[in-house]
Amino acid sequence: MLEVRELTTKYITRFKEDIYAVDHVSLKIEEGRSLGIAGESGCGKSTLALSLMGYYFPPLHYTSGDIIIDGTNISGMKADDVRKSILGREIAYIPQAALNALNPTQKIIRFIEDVVKAHDPTVTKDEIYEMARGLFESLGLPAEVLQKYPVELSGGMKQRTVIAISVILRPQVLIADEPSSALDVTSQKMVIKMLRNLMDNGYVKAMIFITHELPLLYNVTDDIMVMYAGQIVEKAPAHEAVFDPLHPYSKGLMGSIIVPEEGLRDVKLAAIPGTPPNLKNPPKGCRFAARCKYVRPECRVQSIQLRELENGRSYRCVIGEDELRELYAREAE
Amino acid sequence: MKGYRNYFLNKLLWFLVTLVAAFILNFILPRLMPGDPVAAIVSRLAQGMSNTSGVQAIYEQYAEQFGTNKPMLEQFVLYMRNVFQGDFGFSFSQYPRTVADVISSSIWWTVGLQFPAIIIGWLIGNTLGALAAYRRGTFDKVLMPISIFVSNLPAFGMAVIMLVIFAVTLRWFPTSGGYGFDLIPNFSWKFIWSVFIHYQLPFWSIVLITIGGQAIGMRSMSIYELNADYVKYSRLLGIKDRKIVGYVFRNAMLPQITGLALSIGTMVGGALVAEIIFSYPGLGSTILTAVLGQDYPLISATTLIITLMVLLANFLLEIAYGFLDPRIKAAQAD
Ligand SMILES: Nc1ncnc2c1ncn2[C@@H]1O[C@H](COP(=O)(O)OP(=O)(O)OP(=O)(O)O)[C@@H](O)[C@H]1O
Ligand SMILES: [Mg+2]
Repeated sequence: MLEVRELTTKYITRFKEDIYAVDHVSLKIEEGRSLGIAGESGCGKSTLALSLMGYYFPPLHYTSGDIIIDGTNISGMKADDVRKSILGREIAYIPQAALNALNPTQKIIRFIEDVVKAHDPTVTKDEIYEMARGLFESLGLPAEVLQKYPVELSGGMKQRTVIAISVILRPQVLIADEPSSALDVTSQKMVIKMLRNLMDNGYVKAMIFITHELPLLYNVTDDIMVMYAGQIVEKAPAHEAVFDPLHPYSKGLMGSIIVPEEGLRDVKLAAIPGTPPNLKNPPKGCRFAARCKYVRPECRVQSIQLRELENGRSYRCVIGEDELRELYAREAE
Repeated sequence: MKGYRNYFLNKLLWFLVTLVAAFILNFILPRLMPGDPVAAIVSRLAQGMSNTSGVQAIYEQYAEQFGTNKPMLEQFVLYMRNVFQGDFGFSFSQYPRTVADVISSSIWWTVGLQFPAIIIGWLIGNTLGALAAYRRGTFDKVLMPISIFVSNLPAFGMAVIMLVIFAVTLRWFPTSGGYGFDLIPNFSWKFIWSVFIHYQLPFWSIVLITIGGQAIGMRSMSIYELNADYVKYSRLLGIKDRKIVGYVFRNAMLPQITGLALSIGTMVGGALVAEIIFSYPGLGSTILTAVLGQDYPLISATTLIITLMVLLANFLLEIAYGFLDPRIKAAQAD
């Protein structure tokens, strides 16, 4: 369905500095599956989401790697072809700041018209209206929303409207960047339900869900990928990523979710001490070394490769799988 | 629609309140000026006359005619009644012409000069500002310092610079007037050409001043809008850049309309000064002669007309703004 190989992208700042916010990222999603991406603020989750679209505009630039969707490699395509045939049709995106994602001076239906016509100018307004009304109603949104301006919608309604607009062209893959983080709990639940609904009813065939709220991820996606400083540090099925994390960073991150669920302790684990490295010139060796409890001299010498395990999991650490589990067990006592 | 009606009524109310205030101020302020204009006229008329009682008689006759010997309140009631009848009395300085006559011969010069100049300056300024924000680079680096420089010049500064360069040094355009002083207004090509030539310098000095201020505001608004989340989202849904620039232009333009409403008074003031410098036969020059001649009725009437024009333009702009920005309706409906 969607395969990404060694994708690297960078921001070029006003001062002409390069920030490699996505560094040799590879991933693969099969039809009917969903993937969660987790990590601290600033680790490059949103940048990865943008980069996966294959359509770059300043300050973000493509450096290397491939994005293959349904057998087509879109990294080599012309920007305008990507815009026309990929964006919204093959891959669609729900922005992190969905509450501000709509033009404040345009009615929802006018925007939907612009979206549809950007890909197929021959569709008539009536057809678009029928299409939009059908979609909104099947997603549980009142059709009146179409005639409103964004300011006239509540936060939760705006968020769900953005989700509906994102799938108007029936994309294969949906990338949702923190679609619920700015909402209250009830609205959050509705958004999650709606996203699941999209998958179950075949509106989208695969989904990437980005969040820093891990409890959410565990309940929603099949697999979880953990990012740190622009790199993937661990990839595993959701259950294993949460209950059996291997990378020390994942371990620190996941700690806060299993504790309340298992009811072992009622205190939340302290956040991982220290701050992520500056991406302008990241450290030579392991990027997590400066904050890692188990750091060894060889960690700082050269970059660490992702280890592929037999069961399809992978993680980026010099320490072996069993040794890590032993270290964690000893720590727990 | 309810939201818009509230907005409209609110703006209408404020329009009426400012209108009344304008009437009162326009009546009072010229009368607070020092000096007795009737005495001034009489002394001009009576030059060389040695008969004091004759001078006294003339004085009383004029005072009676202009109503300056009545109490203020009575003068005001009289004034309001006359204003609504379009009767502003006689001009002191250009007696026996009526104020209505003096104004009607100068107002169209001002309207014809300022309206096009401010609108064109506003349009060019906003387009340049939006382009600078969108293209950045050299265009931006050249345009911005010039705009900042130009917009900080006082209005007369720009007029004087244009005058010195294009009229005095290069002699491309005449230095003053609305048409050649040796011509009589008519519809001959010669006269129209003369009007056109005389129009250029005052027109462009007002346009330039307006462009500078507008371009700066529009540039920062556009940069802000270009970074808005909806721009990114629209792009990633495959909408063409041209269309997105349209969204941005419209949204950045909205605050510029309010900006225009707020600054139109200053702009008109500046433009009047430009008229004076080019001795353009509009209201600016009329005000100047009126002030110099202590011509109450004329001062009062011209300032009133200008205030009315500014208030009306302001009101219309705000009404238009309410139509263009749906956020207004939503905010008022709550
Ligand atoms: N427009 C930009 N120009 C330059 N650098 C940027 C830009 N946007 C993001 N970055 C940098 O790229 C890195 C990754 O940012 P990104 O927004 O992808 O993080 P994130 O994981 O999505 O964080 P969050 O959880 O806060 O959304 C950060 O170091 C950030 O400073
Ligand atoms: Mg983000």
